Amino acid sequence: MPDQKPETVRLTIDGTTVAVPKGTLVIEAARRIGVMIPHFCYHPKLKPDANCRMCLVEIEKMPKLQTACSTPVAEGMAVRTATTTVDDAHKSVLEFILANHPLDCPVCDQGGKCDLQDFSHQYTPTTSRFTETKRIFQKEYFSPLIETQMNRCVQCLRCVRYCDEIMDVKALAPVGRGTMTEIKHFGPHELDCEFCGGCIQICPVGAITSRLSMYEYRPWMLKRADTICTFCGDGCRITVQTKDNELIEVNSAHGAGRNNGDLCARGFFGFHASSHAGRLTHPLIRREGALVETTWEEALEFVAAQALRLRLAHGPDAFGGLIASRCTNEDLYVFQKFMRQVIGTNRIDSSARYGHLNGIQALRRVQGTHRWTIAFEDIVAANALLLVGTNITETSPITGLKVKEAVKKRQASLVTMETLRPAVDTLSNIANLATQHFQTHPEQFGNTVLGLLKAVVEGHLVDASLAQQSPAFVQRVTEALHGISWETLETATGQPRTQWAETAQLLAKAKRLVVLVGNGILRQPDAEATTTNLLDLLILLGKLDQPGCGLGPLAEENNDQGAVEMGAVAEFIPGPMPLNDQPARDRITSVWREELPRSPGASLPEMLAAADKGALKALFVIGENPVGTLPAAARAKEALAKLELLVCQELFLTETAAMAHVVLPACSYMEKDGTFTNSEGHVQAVRQAINPIGDSRPDWEMVSAISVLMGAPLEYGDAREILKEIRDVIPGYGLLGPTPTPPKVDQSIVTRYLDEGSALDISARYAVHQVVKPADAPFTLVLTQSLFHSGKLSTRSKGLLELQKDGVLSINPSDAATLGLTDGATVRVSNTGGAITTTVKLRERVPAGVLWFPEHFDGEAKELAEWTIDPRTQIPYFKRAHVSLAKVS
Amino acid sequence: MLKEKYQAEIDEILSRYPVKRSALLPLLYMAQREEGYVTEAAMQEIAGILKLTPPQVYETATFYTMLNLKPVGKFHLQVCKSLMCALVGSDTVIGWIGAKLGIKPGETTTDKLFTLSIVECLAACGTGPMMQVNDDYYERLTEEKLDRILADLRQTGTSSLKTGPFMWPEPAKPGA
Amino acid sequence: MPKYEPILLKNMLQPGYAGSLADYERAGGYQAVRKVLGKLSPAEVTGIVMKSGLRGRGGAGFPTGVKWGFLPKDYQGPRYLCCNADESEPGTFKDRQLIERDPHQLLEGMLIACYAIGAASSYIYIRGEFVLGAKILETAIKEARAAGYVGKNIFGSNTSIDIWVHRGAGAYICGEETALLESLEGKRGLPRVKPPFPATHGLYNKPTVVNNVETLANLPHIVNRGAEWFASIGSPPKSTGTRVFCVSGHVKQPGNYEVPMGITFRELIYEHAGGMRGDKPLKAFIPGGASAPFLTPDHLDVKLDFESVALAGSMLGSGGVTVMEEGTDMVWAALRLMEFFYHESCGKCSPCREGSSWLVQIMRRIVNKRGRMEDLETLTDLCKNIAGRTVCAFGDAEVSPILSTLKHWRQEYVDLIQAAETANLIRPEPVGTKH
Ligand SMILES: Cc1cc2nc3c(=O)[nH]c(=O)nc-3n(C[C@H](O)[C@H](O)[C@H](O)COP(=O)(O)O)c2cc1C
Ligand code: SF4
Ligand code: FES
Repeated sequence: MPDQKPETVRLTIDGTTVAVPKGTLVIEAARRIGVMIPHFCYHPKLKPDANCRMCLVEIEKMPKLQTACSTPVAEGMAVRTATTTVDDAHKSVLEFILANHPLDCPVCDQGGKCDLQDFSHQYTPTTSRFTETKRIFQKEYFSPLIETQMNRCVQCLRCVRYCDEIMDVKALAPVGRGTMTEIKHFGPHELDCEFCGGCIQICPVGAITSRLSMYEYRPWMLKRADTICTFCGDGCRITVQTKDNELIEVNSAHGAGRNNGDLCARGFFGFHASSHAGRLTHPLIRREGALVETTWEEALEFVAAQALRLRLAHGPDAFGGLIASRCTNEDLYVFQKFMRQVIGTNRIDSSARYGHLNGIQALRRVQGTHRWTIAFEDIVAANALLLVGTNITETSPITGLKVKEAVKKRQASLVTMETLRPAVDTLSNIANLATQHFQTHPEQFGNTVLGLLKAVVEGHLVDASLAQQSPAFVQRVTEALHGISWETLETATGQPRTQWAETAQLLAKAKRLVVLVGNGILRQPDAEATTTNLLDLLILLGKLDQPGCGLGPLAEENNDQGAVEMGAVAEFIPGPMPLNDQPARDRITSVWREELPRSPGASLPEMLAAADKGALKALFVIGENPVGTLPAAARAKEALAKLELLVCQELFLTETAAMAHVVLPACSYMEKDGTFTNSEGHVQAVRQAINPIGDSRPDWEMVSAISVLMGAPLEYGDAREILKEIRDVIPGYGLLGPTPTPPKVDQSIVTRYLDEGSALDISARYAVHQVVKPADAPFTLVLTQSLFHSGKLSTRSKGLLELQKDGVLSINPSDAATLGLTDGATVRVSNTGGAITTTVKLRERVPAGVLWFPEHFDGEAKELAEWTIDPRTQIPYFKRAHVSLAKVS
Repeated sequence: MLKEKYQAEIDEILSRYPVKRSALLPLLYMAQREEGYVTEAAMQEIAGILKLTPPQVYETATFYTMLNLKPVGKFHLQVCKSLMCALVGSDTVIGWIGAKLGIKPGETTTDKLFTLSIVECLAACGTGPMMQVNDDYYERLTEEKLDRILADLRQTGTSSLKTGPFMWPEPAKPGA
Repeated sequence: MPKYEPILLKNMLQPGYAGSLADYERAGGYQAVRKVLGKLSPAEVTGIVMKSGLRGRGGAGFPTGVKWGFLPKDYQGPRYLCCNADESEPGTFKDRQLIERDPHQLLEGMLIACYAIGAASSYIYIRGEFVLGAKILETAIKEARAAGYVGKNIFGSNTSIDIWVHRGAGAYICGEETALLESLEGKRGLPRVKPPFPATHGLYNKPTVVNNVETLANLPHIVNRGAEWFASIGSPPKSTGTRVFCVSGHVKQPGNYEVPMGITFRELIYEHAGGMRGDKPLKAFIPGGASAPFLTPDHLDVKLDFESVALAGSMLGSGGVTVMEEGTDMVWAALRLMEFFYHESCGKCSPCREGSSWLVQIMRRIVNKRGRMEDLETLTDLCKNIAGRTVCAFGDAEVSPILSTLKHWRQEYVDLIQAAETANLIRPEPVGTKH
């Protein structure tokens, strides 16, 4: 957390003395003592523009009225906000603003939450002196999700400034001049941008509104629930607005949540996934080969009876459990407890395995924490940021905003190692803000990181005290790096050594250095090793344990972190602690009043293999869809077909659910209470916004019902009771404050790592990875996350489908030119795994030789991916492929 | 594509400024010189050169009156109507042009030769009434001069009656 | 022969003088900058300019040396000089003459200013319509560069100064110094909120000085002939030197006249500009460009210096003197200027943006004989509500034609409105919106 103590300035506002930090604006100082100065163009997030002139105040010794929004406080300043002069000024400015503003409040979606309405009420006489003709703009179609009503615009430019200053998207253009200035995109084109909804949220009037909720409501009709978005690991606070159990709108309040009122397209426009018509509303049971509707009693009793039978026949380790890390901590906790206590097996896994586990394992190994030692505040306050393998705008948009804030507002230096090229596009690209950008091929992240380590060592940037305390470590690393030649690295990565050297200097100089690691590493082979090497980098620079410094793996799913902490992965019990950690087992036993199983856990690939061999008989699946997600090489379909009992708790009838013996309709996050733990380890409350759709029930509740029927009841009154038990098992879990308190590096673990642990695999980690490319497959295809979707869930959201309704293949224009492809051309992408036909989109940001395809629509495309399983960590990788490309005429 | 044709000139323009965006107006001028107006494709290309988004180019282009986002006639007659010229008869000049060419301000003749615009002060108030045709000033306009100018433009594409450098030191004829 | 010794227009008055480098050097050009470079410290140069009493010729009349002095002394990064050649104030056409007829005089002035403020790069922001002026400047810079006067190591000193021409593209507001900087940065020409001032956060957020063409053109002469010489011209101590006044409107010989500050309007109009066209009586004049309030024949003996004109309720502004004869319709005249301001309002701040469109609509109604008596109060009110409340001085400027004509010729407004009433032309105006 930032630790500087700001200077204080004292001033008086309307006679009241107030002390505020130096640099505070008068309007903010006034707010502190409850004096609301009217304003339109001012917004605390934005640089003052002082264009509306609404906030004029008198300041002693200044001849003219001053704008409170742009005037910083000064010692001894005397401000008056309530004199007749000031009041007259407010009235007159408002009169000007209202001159051209239509009085269409009855049909305006902003009605009831409009700054202009509020201030007019306060300042204007009932009749207007303006009797001229009002300015009228031609009504133009703006976009499928965002509507503009330019006649209502007060030209405060908050939308434009937000789009530029906060989002760095620059999609909104104030066009023309004078009174005829209007907000448009580009010429006659409809808006093409990140669709963060920020312009809608920040417009003080009804000039920019959401088409999803147009004409649907008046604010006072709506019920609100503050909850957490479920579409990525950032953990944004959203306020869900409903009317008669219908989802109307999502927004977020400035100052609230880790997102501080900012959202991305998924958060703002994606909420309809929950109310999609395809939601399962009744339990289904398989009869004569087909799934048919049934009653809860029958479904649950069937599951319980079968489970009891199979356990008796095959023992507990014939069971497996798989749960999505989209679930709440409470769901995850109850499920793992069910598997361990009611069934009696450790064979449980979750989607956190796919990538997040890599980051957590590296953190645990090197610094003894399973969480970030930094928080979002540290990102904002960083002097230098190193982003490795993350197209952060699209995967973790709000963490991305923190990075943008650090760079744009606080002049932090940014280093990016990323596959995407810095090119201006309709989506922002974090590499555009980089001081140093390493154009990194998807298979070269490890080598690029090695280059940086080598530059640190050879540039004599190793922390002096480290060299003194752990000479052996430094020597080991130095030797290993000396063994690698610059030429090899340069040839492999295409980077010049000077760039590593400059970057190393830059990082060494930074007092606060934050490293963020994304899916470009975490979901690719060698993920754990590369992450560990990045921690070595922090160690070598002497920054690992310094305030404001640390490494953060970016979680893909909203509760990846919680899934690991709840023990819903093969290698951990709640804590997360290793399965065989006796003190932890004892603590849990004392709460559960029962011994935990001793048998080893099984990861998803292991469970699939076991099922395929017939060793696994029953699988409980909650919210996961291995058949729909994994490539054929994983043999998920074949394996699951052999099960004697497959129970799925699901929102939709997925490919996996379609194979189940019983499908139980689950509540989405909109319909239940609980907690999620975000990337930075902040546990936040999820609150029910609508009643469950159909007969659906929260996941934990269904698990609990099965346990009752199996004669080993895990009973809880509500989610809070579960959280209470979680706290007994993991002391202090879920401090629900506004900011997380990140853990500190555990020095004893670091020492152990330096002295011994690091030695174990140093030769493997510090070796240049040779990449062999099949000659007949010249392109590297990467299946990526895209901004407009999250997993497959979002593909059920009507808003997001407006933005992206299917997968197109992004290709570099030069590659396209070679192949004679133009936008929209049809291509065949193939390799030994399969072939797909798709259309292409030319994008400067995709480098030559690389193809980018959204995983949300991977369908057949996933068959192209190479399926590899790390033998040690049992983490499966399937997001990359070598392919060839041909034009289809 | 401007880049293919004018790479050297573009490089030279960029070299004048430490920040790329400063080259925006010069490049918009280049685009306008090329096509007679600033096309959408040009704005897109310029955005690419300057690492701006097309909306950023667009917002700037629409702020300035000299950048045409739509085609104009071959000769763009821009008559100053600000007070100083109005005092010495600019409205009459506008009337003459309207009558001679059959167009109202903002319109283009059907043969696409002439567009008439009414503009604000062009800093030739001492030599009004005046107009600017494309790059050139024509000052102290009279009906007879105007006729000759229009005829010259039609025939040769320019006119010897254009003025400049600054009409000085010859003083105006008294009473003119 | 002119009555007073011209300074700025001196060269170009010589027969055959075409403004080339050779011409300029023959006339003694580029001596001043030689005197300065490496021989005087930047602070000494600033001191000379301060002592000369030179005040900005762009409109506001801010003391030039003092402005330079605001630049942070210890700042290490780049600094910039911007020459304001946007000359768009209706009634003003002196900078065009200085540029087109004697470009090197301006360049030399810029070199001196750059040296004084430590700028290695400078830009001439010239209004887009001055195509010829821009060409002439480009040619002159090329000549100067070839001669080693512009570019690296000028005159063999270790001072390097570059000058670039940057064309505007049609926006009056870009004459306002911060809008000029925005425009030069490739953005919409919207004035910035001040503070911070350009002296600390100017072009690219670096310390910057913006000076008018005429201001800069004075510098070689001040250096050559000394601060005392300059300070003795005009009406010292506050208005020193000559000014090039641009006389337009109903006079016999409109044009630019360089005279010492402090002569009277009567002298300028009747002696230099040849008196009134057709010898009609003078009815009104604008003393300093469209932004300056109108004055009446009663003010003919006011002196042409900053203080005297201010005292008379107007301003010397840009030096554009527009003269109107008896019979000129003052409401119409005010409307013309109001239309100019409406057209040029950048739209950034609400009072100016909305006020200008409102004012112009009322004025049009009155001129078209559809005015109402209460309009007069509304006009006055709106003007007062705009002035002093906008981001830049445009707001103060745009209300001066209406306020001053209302003050001096209110009866003309009343007559128009009464004509409307008697002709029973008042139709009910549409009230409210159409949508
Ligand atoms: C609306 C407005 C328009 C202006 N236009 C010009 C102009 O065209 N030329 C100019 O030199 N100064 C103009 N100015 C004045 C400049 O802002 C600035 O004061 C001047 O360039 C400073 O130079 P100086 O100190 O040499 O006068 C204008 C000011 C305002 C408020
Ligand atoms: S659309 Fe809204 S936010 Fe944007 S300038 Fe207009 S009033 Fe302001
Ligand atoms: S809020 Fe201060 S000027 Fe708009």
